[in-house]
Amino acid sequence: MKILCDRNALQEAVTVVSSVVPVKTTKPILQNLLVRADTEGITLFATDLEMAARVQLDAVKVSKKGSVLLPARETAALLRELSDPTVTLESSDQRCRIESGGGSFVLLGESPEEYPEESQNKSGKRIEIPAGRMLRMIQETIFAAAREETRYAINGVLLDCAGGCLRLVATDGRRLAISYENIDSKVEFKVVVPLRALNTMVRALPEDGKEALQLEVGDKQIVFKIGSTQLQSQLLETRFPDYEGVLPKSADTTVEVQKAVLESALRRAAILAPNDMRMVRFEAGDNQLRLTAESTARGRADVAVDAVIKGAGGGINFNPDYILEALRVCKLDDVRLDMSDDSMPAKFTLGESFTYVVMPISGA
Amino acid sequence: MIRRLPPAVVNQIAAGEVVERPVSVVKELLENALDAGALRIRVEVDGGGAERIAVIDDGDGFLPEDLPLAFASHATSKLQTVADLDHIGSLGFRGEALASIGAISRALVRSRRRGAEAGWEVRCEGGVETAPQPCGAPEGTRLEVRDLFYNVPARRRFLKSAGAERARIQELVAELSLARLDVDVTLVADGRELLRLPAGDSLPARFARCFGVELQHGLLPVSRTFAGLTVAGFVAEPDLARRDGKLELMFVNGRRARESSALYAIRQAFREYLMGGRFPVYVLQVNLPADQVDANVHPRKAEVRFVEARRVAGCLHETVRAALQARGAAADAAAGGVVIDARLPRARSGFPDRSRDLFGPPPAAAPAPPPREAAVAGVRESRGPGEPGEAAVRPNPFQRVSGRFLQVLDLYLLLEGPDGLLVVDQHALHERVVYERLRRRHAGRPVQVQRLLVPAVVEVSPTELAWIEAASAELAEQGLLVEPFGPAAVAVQGVPAVLAKVDGKRLLRDLLATGNEDGGTAVQDRIAERFHAMACRAAVMSGDRLGEAEIEALLQEAATLEHPHNCPHGRPTVLTFGTAELERYFRRRC
Ligand SMILES: Nc1ncnc2c1ncn2[C@@H]1O[C@H](COP(=O)(O)OP(=O)(O)OP(=O)(O)O)[C@@H](O)[C@H]1O
Ligand SMILES: [Mg+2]
Repeated sequence: MKILCDRNALQEAVTVVSSVVPVKTTKPILQNLLVRADTEGITLFATDLEMAARVQLDAVKVSKKGSVLLPARETAALLRELSDPTVTLESSDQRCRIESGGGSFVLLGESPEEYPEESQNKSGKRIEIPAGRMLRMIQETIFAAAREETRYAINGVLLDCAGGCLRLVATDGRRLAISYENIDSKVEFKVVVPLRALNTMVRALPEDGKEALQLEVGDKQIVFKIGSTQLQSQLLETRFPDYEGVLPKSADTTVEVQKAVLESALRRAAILAPNDMRMVRFEAGDNQLRLTAESTARGRADVAVDAVIKGAGGGINFNPDYILEALRVCKLDDVRLDMSDDSMPAKFTLGESFTYVVMPISGA
Repeated sequence: MIRRLPPAVVNQIAAGEVVERPVSVVKELLENALDAGALRIRVEVDGGGAERIAVIDDGDGFLPEDLPLAFASHATSKLQTVADLDHIGSLGFRGEALASIGAISRALVRSRRRGAEAGWEVRCEGGVETAPQPCGAPEGTRLEVRDLFYNVPARRRFLKSAGAERARIQELVAELSLARLDVDVTLVADGRELLRLPAGDSLPARFARCFGVELQHGLLPVSRTFAGLTVAGFVAEPDLARRDGKLELMFVNGRRARESSALYAIRQAFREYLMGGRFPVYVLQVNLPADQVDANVHPRKAEVRFVEARRVAGCLHETVRAALQARGAAADAAAGGVVIDARLPRARSGFPDRSRDLFGPPPAAAPAPPPREAAVAGVRESRGPGEPGEAAVRPNPFQRVSGRFLQVLDLYLLLEGPDGLLVVDQHALHERVVYERLRRRHAGRPVQVQRLLVPAVVEVSPTELAWIEAASAELAEQGLLVEPFGPAAVAVQGVPAVLAKVDGKRLLRDLLATGNEDGGTAVQDRIAERFHAMACRAAVMSGDRLGEAEIEALLQEAATLEHPHNCPHGRPTVLTFGTAELERYFRRRC
């Protein structure tokens, strides 16, 4: 194999596919990435057997077809350091020579035949959505998913597509985030995508990208395609809880408050919520939202902010971290909280299509 | 004056050996039914078995001419000569069970021989039999035992609550059913169906039905043949280990039996995968020629002896070790496969792999590692305060260390103590210290509950359900809200807020795995203790790496502790290499 290509483009592509390369693995071969050159250009491919990433580059001059397996980390690091606008890759046997302004390097790879092959996905259900939208939806939900990796937790986000609407839903059982987007399609599916795949997507997707992201959903896997980049992931075979059932239908009290004000007040109050028992009391009344926290060892916080209160008023306790995490990804100026008593879920409206439900803390 | 005891008293004494409590009766009757070739067995108990036990089978039935001998001592159809004792193929062989049961209860046999016109019935009360009477009966045998120990008040007083006796019976029926997947078994207690085990279940399926559905994910099938010996069944993933040894189930030629060297060998194979104080979960069926086993060593046939005990133990050790090791290798075995393969274990997602065929061929075993030496000779491992009489005499080793330490391998600390070298597991010690801090801090603080938006539904076995129902008030007091959810599940509605990060399902599972024997510490204390241990683990895991100053602080705090020898999960925190041992090793001294 022998190719000449733009260093920037190659470096970007290597970074994208390297994102699935496992840091630790019992199969060392998985720490490589595969470069294949043919008449149309080159393809970069990497997998950890759960996820796979592929990028095609066509602005490449291929003078000799073939394929080579390169150590992913070293290749990425090397390309980052090179200064010339172009690089040449030439391979024979299992070594690959990289030539550029910074010098000449030989990387020792392994036999490309040993590397797991790319699976040919049977066509699944397809939808399209602007990449930037998808990125926001992922960000608005992913933080609410269970982080604990046990056999019981749901380490994934639900993608529920029905009735011309794609909903992303994540929950760890204590809070639940929903973000949705209308799409022009009658396709229906309901799958749970592993967090890891979505985290990779967050890194790969452009902010505010207008480009179309294509989702292809099969029985066992999902493929995300954008431009010449493709990310494939196994789906989680798990039952996702009935999320519509937990959305509160009514509330005793409604609080409307500026997001920035709430966020800073809560951050201050939370300082005095003990580390091992995170709890801040929210009390609504007299057009004020009052936040209090107390640590027997450290002291007490009491912060009041202006708010529009409707309904009965009253107080409930929350884990402040749950709410701060959601406010961090909230883009609205004013947020709304619908709450009842401490046995009922409270609902935060954090965006036009972003809803967050949190269960309060109560006495035993 | 020496007097001969009247036969009724002799029988009562003998009966005490065989029948210790209601569960022993159930065991004997079940074994008889299986020996009679039954394929469908129904067990009914009322009042924990003390009121009534009935075992109804569809086996061969009694020969009418055998009936007068049914309750006679040493009367058996299964064994004739002493030589037969060397190769016992049936579960019963002494002809002792019915005689014992008959001596201490009001019993009834109603049986119709397969193909016979009519049935016969015999009653026995306190060892006195009636003559057989003809009666109508379905093919098979019904054995009913009422008023157990009615004439042995001393025994009666030692019975536990009906609920506790019932729980034991349920465990026993469940255990025995695992040896005969071809037999349909039902257990009904006080009119409530506790077990319904249809014939033809796979071993994991029946196991899960009996002991909790959650258990079926993470069972590693095993099947090995050695010369003159086969082992089959499964071992459970180490993270399913329990705090009691109740699910260490071995069967020898179809008989549920214990044998100490085998038990030890299996635990050894699990050892490096388990935390201290945890017991493995497995079902292993060992089959070997009948003349290689002595089943006649225990009055209730609960133990066996192997002629070649060392060899059998070795085979079991090897089987378990290979299965546990292969589980790591299974991921690798798919080398060169297709990228996204649904059968690949999902190592990272933490989800049970439902598509794994439990009875498919076991994954290729990895090459054996060199045998590890159990422990360096002469090294003393710190034991916990659990051992009676030990706690008082064990000094706190951290009180007398020199201030200097060396951190090695990012994990261990080497310290100089007055009598030698101390090796400290920094993590374990950190956990103990944090645990003690938490305990002090939470004492007397009101319990807060983080309610769950989506209740965590946990499938439980009937025994577990009974325990949860009984303990639900105490659980709620500690902040764990659990409600019944259908006949075989509960819903966790809230978790203690101090454990906000711990999964509700896992919390309950962990609690259930601590064993549900009644007695011992109060339920509350046990729950609180478990929660603190978990909170502590969460705290330590989220903590950063310890710097020098922090290690110094840690050692100082450790010096103030009452129980610094173990982490809250039971692992030792410190190992001492005594001066004498060191000298001996370096040949400075003999
Ligand atoms: N359910 C049954 N169906 C048919 N025959 C039975 C049944 N239960 C008992 N018997 C007969 O009664 C005899 C006595 O049973 P018993 O349980 O007392 O002795 P055993 O099974 O021979 O030996 P062990 O004391 O070791 O159990 C058996 O040998 C068998 O012939
Ligand atoms: Mg018997």
